Amino acid sequence: MPNDPVIRTHGLSKAYKGVQALEALDLEVPGNSIFGFLGPNGAGKTTTIKLLLGLIRPTAGSAEVFGHDIVGDTIDVRRRIGYLAQEPRYYEHMTARETLRFTARCFYSGPKAALEQRVAGTLELVGLADKADRPIRGFSAGERQRLGIGQAQVNEPDLLILDEPASSLDPMGRRDVLAIMERLRERATVFYSTHILGDVQRVSDTVAILNKGELVAQAPIEQLLAGSDGIVYTIELRGNGSDAEQRVADQPWVSDLQVTHEHDCAHWLVRVADDAAAESQLLRLILADEHVVVTAFGRRTYELEDVFMSLVEENGDGER
Amino acid sequence: MESASVRLEPAAGSGPLTGFGNLVDKEYGTWWRTRRALLHNILWLSVINGFLLLIGLDEMGRNPYGILSELIEIFFRVGGFFAAIGIVVSTQSSVLGERKLGTAEWVLSKPVTREAFVLSKFVVNGASFIGLAVVIPSIVFFLQTLLLAYLQPSLGPFLLGSLLQVEHLVFYLALTLALSAWFNSRGAVSGVAIGFMFAGFIMPSFLPWVLVGTPWPLWEFAARAAGGNPLPAEAWQPIVVTLLWTALLVLAALWRFNREEL
Repeated sequence: MPNDPVIRTHGLSKAYKGVQALEALDLEVPGNSIFGFLGPNGAGKTTTIKLLLGLIRPTAGSAEVFGHDIVGDTIDVRRRIGYLAQEPRYYEHMTARETLRFTARCFYSGPKAALEQRVAGTLELVGLADKADRPIRGFSAGERQRLGIGQAQVNEPDLLILDEPASSLDPMGRRDVLAIMERLRERATVFYSTHILGDVQRVSDTVAILNKGELVAQAPIEQLLAGSDGIVYTIELRGNGSDAEQRVADQPWVSDLQVTHEHDCAHWLVRVADDAAAESQLLRLILADEHVVVTAFGRRTYELEDVFMSLVEENGDGER
Repeated sequence: MESASVRLEPAAGSGPLTGFGNLVDKEYGTWWRTRRALLHNILWLSVINGFLLLIGLDEMGRNPYGILSELIEIFFRVGGFFAAIGIVVSTQSSVLGERKLGTAEWVLSKPVTREAFVLSKFVVNGASFIGLAVVIPSIVFFLQTLLLAYLQPSLGPFLLGSLLQVEHLVFYLALTLALSAWFNSRGAVSGVAIGFMFAGFIMPSFLPWVLVGTPWPLWEFAARAAGGNPLPAEAWQPIVVTLLWTALLVLAALWRFNREEL
């Protein structure tokens, strides 16, 4: 079942010396999705990722990745994951090829020719083929990040976990990372944390927002961007629209209609209970009145930044 | 990416040593695919074998057997002392450094156990260091004795002495690994390990019975055995106890590293 949750957490919690870093997290990450994990600094994003990878242990709760318990079956979990840390560190004396070979050998025993082929293919994919045999100590931040992405996908993982994958990249590097993520969506699930909300809005299917160690929202991106006040259409029109206003207000699927006027322009906010009915009839009902000219019509959506700020501020400012 | 005819085989194994072979190869590379082995080779040949060139052989008398006996004694005492310090210094950051740098986090995000991570360091650091600070200087020593005393040590006693020296070094390796799994500062790791070694020069004067339960007398036993001299009847006690301490220290390192939050 491709869209079964690949990650499930149940009350997952982590405290460090009395400080609650993660509080009873219940999360479900659907398969073959790009799941954006958002939150201000110190919200608990990296803690969650480290818990999933078995790098730290939960103080309460549990989680499964592909049905494997993250504590008891951590090796089975890690066999199916590719991970890129926020500040990836490698052995500086190794070359990019040696690093990928070492990583690949964590997952595969051979044969050698196929292993080398996989390594060479990965180097090509992340654009490091011409620097493959240089020690990493001479790599730029962008090259390190490319190597990071390479090592995270050298095992063709079913789940790719990326912690702030684009934070240290220039716009070109960011574009490349997003392209790789979109390409991987076809055969893998991508779970990534970031501060760059524009990227999340561009590529994510589902988003979870964490604040002060608590989950404050989790929903498909369209649902989140639609806002929490139901389905609302915004319409701008000119001319006398009082007949149209009455006709629209009389519809059983219209739950609220607010009209404001500015100069010779009227702004309508129509809250509807039945989106299908609104989609097929609303504009027709207005245009039936030949005295009005519709200059703008659409469903109200929010920018992710607005949703993020409003949720985080509702739950405190996010600073610990 | 690979052709259909040559498919990659998933790495087998799910036990506590999952990933051990790959980690051993990686650790081996840090010694032998860098300049580290060459530098250690030069260092230990200079310190141990070079030291023998500095001593005044004329003062030893003209008897070749006397010269050989004196050379063996000096070789094992100098080698035992400096190599013990060397193994502490060269491995103090093997676990601690990776914890601090974040490479341990990276490696352990792969299907690799923490036991394999620590044990690969123990095995490769131990084997590489012993090869460079005991085996190669010993081979050179055999040539030196031929040139200086026109004699060579008897192989059996020399090997017994070398084994005791190796046991001594492996204890300090295990101690250093355990300390570097517990402490967060290199100074603390090397300070405690080397401090313990120096305590072996002082404490037995006040508390002679501590020699039974520590590795302190081993390097003296090594020198004695290599020269063909009999060991004291109670020598088995520190030899066995040191083996036990070594095993316990490795277990302590594993226990602590398994609880490490990376």
